[in-house]
Amino acid sequence: MLVDFELIKRAQNRDSAAFNEIVLAYRKRILGTITRLIARSEDVEDVAQEVFLRLYFSLDQLRTPEVFEPWLYRLTVNAAFDYLRKQRRRQEFRMSDLSEQQVLMADAMAGGKVEHEEQLRKKMRESVDSLLGAVSEADRILLLLKEVEGLSLKELEKIYKVNENALKVRLFRARQRVLKAFGAAGKKEGPG
Amino acid sequence: MSMRGNDDEKLDAVFRAYRYACPDPDASVNFMPALWARIEARQTFLFSFRRMANAFVTAAVALSIALGVYLSIPRSTPGIGSETYIEALADANPLDTPEIVGQVPLDLNGR
Repeated sequence: MLVDFELIKRAQNRDSAAFNEIVLAYRKRILGTITRLIARSEDVEDVAQEVFLRLYFSLDQLRTPEVFEPWLYRLTVNAAFDYLRKQRRRQEFRMSDLSEQQVLMADAMAGGKVEHEEQLRKKMRESVDSLLGAVSEADRILLLLKEVEGLSLKELEKIYKVNENALKVRLFRARQRVLKAFGAAGKKEGPG
Repeated sequence: MSMRGNDDEKLDAVFRAYRYACPDPDASVNFMPALWARIEARQTFLFSFRRMANAFVTAAVALSIALGVYLSIPRSTPGIGSETYIEALADANPLDTPEIVGQVPLDLNGR
């Protein structure tokens, strides 16, 4: 835990300074998780603010401060999931509005602005995104929490409130699907 | 012996690389002010929503009480309350009403 129980209790009693301290303690971690879950750096802060906003208004529902972290993760996962759903809808609309050439031009202009390092990251994100496209949005998030965020099954159990065996089965199936996509991508690229 | 294949290990490496390629970013200086602005905006919205809901509930309760009082007041018009259905019917259609019980004209010559 990055904060003590006393601080959480103070924040539950609408102590703004205590809430500020909690945000400052978890901000970087939550921003990182969201960055990897939504893969769009320009919207990361917006989603993180939504997480802390939800935290502020639901903190009084937290019965035991011991489950604070899984609870905060659940809020993060839900906010990321909501964002991805909205984003998909918006993207479909936006892409249908533009001609193919306009989309290519917009991509080229965006590419010209970003730095080399950012481009590499973008490429990495895109390849992982395309691999994770083999599974549903929910499984994608679950897989990222396990494989990239490094959360244990026990932690995931607390976040999702689902028993460990069900999680194992779901993770195994999701991973198998991604592996299949990974194998197919490897074959497409060829031995060279 | 490990059950994991070559692709499994490669996939783990991809996930590790992804984690490395997307480090935890620092928040902008505007993060906290923007967060508090959103919290205050939501609070204002919730406050006005609650006030509207309270006003609506109060109005509904007042209307119910008024309706209850109105219905519970005994009717003061004489006769109406004590009259039976038959009496009311008789009053409305007296026996000497010509169109109901009057003599039916019978003209046998005029065919």
